[in-house]
Amino acid sequence: MKVIRSFLKIFTVMVFLFLYSPIIAMVIFSFNESKSLAVFTNFSLKWYEKVIANPEVWRALYNSFWVGAVVTIISLILGLMMAMAVTRYSFTGKTILESFILIPIIIPEIAEALSLMMMYIFLNIPLGPVTVIIGHIAFDISFVTVVMRARMVGYDKSIEEAARTLGANELQTFFRITLPTLYPAILAAGLLAFTLSFDDLIKTLFTTGPGFKTLPLVIWSYAARGGVSPELNSLSSFALSISFLFAIFRLRAERRMGR
Amino acid sequence: MGLMDVLLKYVRKNVSVKVALLLTPPLIFLAVWFYAPFLIVGLYSFDMINIYREITFTPSLVHYSRVLSWTGASGIFLRSLYFAGINVLLCLLLGYPVAYYISFKVKKYKDVYIILFIIPFWVSFLIRTYAMMGLLDERSFFNTILLSLAIIDSPIKIMYTDVAVILVMVYDYLVMMVLPLYANLEKLDKTLLEAASTLGAGPVRTFLKVTLPLSMPGIMAGFLLVFIPSVGEFVIPELVGGPSNYMVGNIIYEIFMGARHWWVGSALSMLFIAFILSLVIIYIRGVGERGLAI
Amino acid sequence: MVNRRDVFKVAVAGVLGLAIGGVGGYISRQGEMESLKKEVVELSKQLGVAAPKLEPNLNIYNWTYYINRNIVDWWAKENGVQIVYDTFESLDEVVAKLQTGTSGYDLAVVSDSPLQELANLGVLEPIDLRKIPNFKYVPDRFKNPRYDPGNKYSVIYSYGTTGLGWNNEEVSPEVTAWADVFEVDRHLGKYKGKITMHSDSVETYGAALIYLGRDPNSTKDEDLREAIELLKKQKPYLAGYASTEEYMAGLEAGRFLISHAYNGDIAGLMYASDEREITISKKLEHISYTVPEEGALAWADNFVIPKGAKNIEAAHAFINFILDPIVSAICTITVKYPFPAGRDYVPEEIRSDPVIFTPEELLGKLYWTRPLTPEERAKRAEYWLELMAA
Repeated sequence: MKVIRSFLKIFTVMVFLFLYSPIIAMVIFSFNESKSLAVFTNFSLKWYEKVIANPEVWRALYNSFWVGAVVTIISLILGLMMAMAVTRYSFTGKTILESFILIPIIIPEIAEALSLMMMYIFLNIPLGPVTVIIGHIAFDISFVTVVMRARMVGYDKSIEEAARTLGANELQTFFRITLPTLYPAILAAGLLAFTLSFDDLIKTLFTTGPGFKTLPLVIWSYAARGGVSPELNSLSSFALSISFLFAIFRLRAERRMGR
Repeated sequence: MGLMDVLLKYVRKNVSVKVALLLTPPLIFLAVWFYAPFLIVGLYSFDMINIYREITFTPSLVHYSRVLSWTGASGIFLRSLYFAGINVLLCLLLGYPVAYYISFKVKKYKDVYIILFIIPFWVSFLIRTYAMMGLLDERSFFNTILLSLAIIDSPIKIMYTDVAVILVMVYDYLVMMVLPLYANLEKLDKTLLEAASTLGAGPVRTFLKVTLPLSMPGIMAGFLLVFIPSVGEFVIPELVGGPSNYMVGNIIYEIFMGARHWWVGSALSMLFIAFILSLVIIYIRGVGERGLAI
Repeated sequence: MVNRRDVFKVAVAGVLGLAIGGVGGYISRQGEMESLKKEVVELSKQLGVAAPKLEPNLNIYNWTYYINRNIVDWWAKENGVQIVYDTFESLDEVVAKLQTGTSGYDLAVVSDSPLQELANLGVLEPIDLRKIPNFKYVPDRFKNPRYDPGNKYSVIYSYGTTGLGWNNEEVSPEVTAWADVFEVDRHLGKYKGKITMHSDSVETYGAALIYLGRDPNSTKDEDLREAIELLKKQKPYLAGYASTEEYMAGLEAGRFLISHAYNGDIAGLMYASDEREITISKKLEHISYTVPEEGALAWADNFVIPKGAKNIEAAHAFINFILDPIVSAICTITVKYPFPAGRDYVPEEIRSDPVIFTPEELLGKLYWTRPLTPEERAKRAEYWLELMAA
């Protein structure tokens, strides 16, 4: 009772500490003047200056954004089509189809990434931004479909039928009725697709071409080679703040939509 | 009535056509860019593509038998299962009390607590892993504090050990266990618990006999979401582990990139994928479709 | 539904912003390129020299820390070429990329044995020595190498050995042999947890096989079995298997006392130089490098032009640039690896340092790697994985 409750409370607090301390430590020490990871000497922005002065970082950031945008748009379109087919109609082979949709989510990323790379090489397709985008979409479609389907359950088609009886054709019905109603689902799925693409490492690692780097790739190459360093702390904190902004944006959008 | 109108009328009446129209683009995309690559991997694994990247029609199991006869291969598979297993267990041990506490013991602001829990996971997997690296490093403040408190007399060297890999895995995957658990616990009918205590069951018995069994779907979902991806984990052993802690994912990478033996690498990948798929199938059979409604 | 429209507006604004920024950036960069080109053409006209007609993009793939970036940027600006300079830390990376024939790179640096393999696979473009007049500055012993007769596909970049780098303040007695890191009663036991071997299996296999008195390129089961057993016995005493960045950081920080390393990396720790000033100041006195007495692997890195290179002209021009004696000297001073063409122009201190310019006497103790077939590599990989799993 009380004892159990206190125990649970303390336990929870400790877990929260466990979750937050690495990240908070990383952010704090990114402002550290010395290279030390242990002692905070003085507040300094010098590591951030280094990061901001590095053109590779800006290029990678820019790449991550526009790749994410393209991936999101195409994944949304394809995913919406799939979700509509699956939720509105019943047809033979539907269950098999649903399994096919889930497979990309289950398969280990490294297997996916390597197989895609092998196919590109087999077909003599040069690696670059396009191959990266394709890889992301192949993975994101499934997530988009699953999320949209979850939110489309219980969708009432009667409004559409009403619109049709009033004389609207397919296209008009779709754009004026269906799409706006599905807006929360599309937003949720879109934000998810963007995040998945923006944060993606493994697929991008194997499908990118000369000189084309995304933000996670830059962080990975520094971390895998040199381990922990103040510059990387700043870079990661910087990337973290972007994820944060996005998450807050997502949260407020969901709040407004009323889930 | 023009041709267009006739077509439209046909489409409207015919469900299958509608479905086909909707499904074709996404399915073609997936077929070409997701499934075809695995076909290529399969061809390599059965020795049907040669070094000049031409398809030969002479399948052979030589690469599979090579993988299966590796003395080192089984060790690494077992290690991956071992790491993933401990990861799931620890996530469960750490995550269940937290989910329980927030769901049952927190009266107001439950949402806030859950969101506070999720916030660290808004950060990308890679950055979370990197942040953990900072703590695990010998020179980290974590070590300095322990040293100054004289709890230890030399810095804890965790980096590049099994412990590091598992610790970081738990850190990265914890949310995937807590969220389904929390969702499940929230949906529990609290009146059942009241009924149990009215009937004289103490809190421990209520938990063991009522709460725990009813939260099984959540536990199973969490298990699926944590165990399956962690078996194939690549990033974490690369960053915080060394060759002594390599898992299947790292070995596959080594074979493709290091030994550059695409055939054996493909065979290993195919076996690994088959393994994962069979785990999922076992899960589905055992738990039913509900488990997949994430 | 005001909220939704706001969101929509923001999204559109964001996308437009990105688009404008991207297009703007692209246009301004193109403009810069154009004006640079114009300047170069003008200057050439004044000098009465034919303006180099170089395509704007050059993709280079090289080892990390293997060139003076300022010199490269200078050349790029002078010639109106936009350079993409990617780096790798392990030979496997560059070979894997080049092997595909569609790497996207115009110029790469590979070591001697993979070079033969790649040439046999037909994924290298031939080099036209007529476009590289500075080739005459390359010392004869680096011309016409046995791994590429006639320099059909390659031009020497740098060369070196893989031996042991060690901390001479903390470690005694001196490190002189592989036995020191393979035998427990020598340095291996004494400095447990502070020794690293190389993460490249070719190097570590080489060390083990040389210590055992075998051919470092052996793929015979008995040899590999013995080597792996030796390595397995050594493993618990090691801090790990490290590559350049890892052991350089580790040696400097004192976390590692003995590391299986490339000579130039260790020299890079011993000397410091500013990329702009091109001066030398001895940085760390306490780091030494030794070629073990049992022998060591030697290697030569070479410029190659991968198949499918789009800018072959600029690739040749770049090679020519690096082979300029002064430029070679600058690179030697910066990265502490020897660039043969510049030997006469480097400070005496560097020229006579045995760590950088491997002395002739040692040549008899050096082994070269030979290219392996995928089957041979797979066999080695199997044993190597056994080691990793241990």
